[in-house]
Amino acid sequence: MKTATLNKSDLGKCIDLLVQADLRVIAPRLQPRLDEDGPDAIDVLTFTEVDSGEGHQVGEGLLPLNGVKEFLFAKHEPLFAYEKRGKKIEIIPVHHEYPQTVIIGVRPCDAASIASLESVFSDANAGFEDPFFTERRSRTTFITYSCTAPDASCFCTSVNLSPDSAKGSDLHLTEIGDGRLHVEVISKAGEAVAKQLQDLLEGEGDQAAREKAGAEVSEKLTRIRDSAPIMDWLMDTANFDDEMWQRLGEKCIGCGACTFACPTCHCFDIVDENKGSKGYRVKFWDSCQFDHFTLHASGHNPRDWQYKRYRNRFNCKFKIYPEKFETPGCVGCGRCIRACPVNLDITEYMAEVAHKAANPSAMKADQDSE
Amino acid sequence: MSNIYQPDLMTITKIIQEAPGIKTFHLKFQDENVASNFSFQTGQFGEYSAFGAGESTFCIASSPTRPDHIECCFREVGKVTTALANLTEGDTIGFRGPYGNTFPLDDWRGKNLIFIGGGIALPPLRSVIWNCLDLREQDGRFGHVSIVYGARSVQDLVYKREIEEWSQMENVTMVKTVDPGGETDDWDGHIGFVPHVLENDFKPDPENTVAIVCGPPIMIKFTFEALERLGFKQEQMVTTLENRMKCGLGKCGRCNIGSTYVCIDGPVFTATELAALPQEF
Repeated sequence: MKTATLNKSDLGKCIDLLVQADLRVIAPRLQPRLDEDGPDAIDVLTFTEVDSGEGHQVGEGLLPLNGVKEFLFAKHEPLFAYEKRGKKIEIIPVHHEYPQTVIIGVRPCDAASIASLESVFSDANAGFEDPFFTERRSRTTFITYSCTAPDASCFCTSVNLSPDSAKGSDLHLTEIGDGRLHVEVISKAGEAVAKQLQDLLEGEGDQAAREKAGAEVSEKLTRIRDSAPIMDWLMDTANFDDEMWQRLGEKCIGCGACTFACPTCHCFDIVDENKGSKGYRVKFWDSCQFDHFTLHASGHNPRDWQYKRYRNRFNCKFKIYPEKFETPGCVGCGRCIRACPVNLDITEYMAEVAHKAANPSAMKADQDSE
Repeated sequence: MSNIYQPDLMTITKIIQEAPGIKTFHLKFQDENVASNFSFQTGQFGEYSAFGAGESTFCIASSPTRPDHIECCFREVGKVTTALANLTEGDTIGFRGPYGNTFPLDDWRGKNLIFIGGGIALPPLRSVIWNCLDLREQDGRFGHVSIVYGARSVQDLVYKREIEEWSQMENVTMVKTVDPGGETDDWDGHIGFVPHVLENDFKPDPENTVAIVCGPPIMIKFTFEALERLGFKQEQMVTTLENRMKCGLGKCGRCNIGSTYVCIDGPVFTATELAALPQEF
């Protein structure tokens, strides 16, 4: 594997070079949110398309509010247009631009989520390929950046990742002290990007320093849960009716914030946006936390209580993804924990499941004594 | 770039008002190439669109042995089905499919078949009923065929003319019922819920027999229980589910029962398969 070093102070120049190479560049920046131009605007770290390195926040802060998901799986996009002409319908393809894109400053958890989304939207899933996702995916290169300061909601090491993981990366950057970055070329796409940056890259990297830096950051993670027994426990359908689901899920208000913040949540809706005799059929993000999501036309709803919808989400992360799509459903980014308005914490479920899995007879005794 | 979300266009060649609020459409592809390349097997479903309103999921209600056109049958309940119901003969709808797995007809060779349906759940059964009857006429590959069908009231029964046709056929036993209070003065069928009539009046012999059940989840549950009391084993009981769907392609995340996606892994399941799933459907 090719390695090099790069001055951290040259990251802005890297972005400039990529922009000059006619690439669409997406980087973290501080963007005003809420009252965008007014007195209450607050600056929030956000992945956004940039036209220069000015004001970039690559390697700063922790996780942008939005993940990289929206750049591959659009929040809202037309699938085709239609026009009614008497008894006939004309379907008109919609032209989408799929520019060659580089996303820089992607944290390892977000990078690891790409393979999960790909396992849903590519033809590996039942032979049906979502071309809107795969066209974007094939034209997107990820420059990842090892974490330096995980916060109290981070738990990537609980789901077989690490703050310096290069999984899903094309070109991986790790701070190794003295304002220097260790650069690893991970893929062909990463090699092509490295070529664009060659004037800024120097010599070889420092593998030992990179590993040491990664290990030091891993130690800062305070929220450690054992996720190993979770899938096995969920595979036992008897546990689908465990009392835990209702007890822990009762406080969920079904707002769906966790699903929109989550880098691996893939649910969507398809509707017609119609005006007069024309319109678009559009696909847009939806959430399994909404009560009408699984509602049948008859009024029957298989997930008729909020705790059942939360149970579905937890199962999706730790059973459905690994079992059906053979990719991780949770990358430990902690966005769902930070986003939740009622402090519902997925790692509390993880801990409880791990405890139940480790102490099956004790839990049974507890229940019997109740 | 092939767009999996783009439907093919079909013309409504005929509309039949089956019951109050329930219509059958006969549909033909507008594009000759699509029409000649299209094939499906019984049990499969499609996404039908009323442009301007959206898509709905229905089974293909006709039999693949009668490939002149395909049929769907739906009740007017929501936005899309209301928009579909407002269309007239000659209008255009969109169709994506066929999707999903199929009824395992090969496993049923030499066996007696009992089809059990309630209300608007006859359309999926009607596809497989005609498929089996047509194949039996060709080569006698199935034994006796029974059809147990019920609705809330006499007027809610769908395919009334075909119920008459099945009643007249040799080697077919037609058992029809309506819920108590739903009968008319000249009603000549049973009165009672489908699982009750099945268990107490029809009492089928489980020997060398497969029961194919379709209905709302609560009816499936009670019918399976009745069949078990009659001596049917789980592997002799088959059903088809229609969970809410949007894409039909295993991506939108709506129809799953645990890790099983009804759109990809179903909609046809044996009772054995259903029993192994989380009980959330």
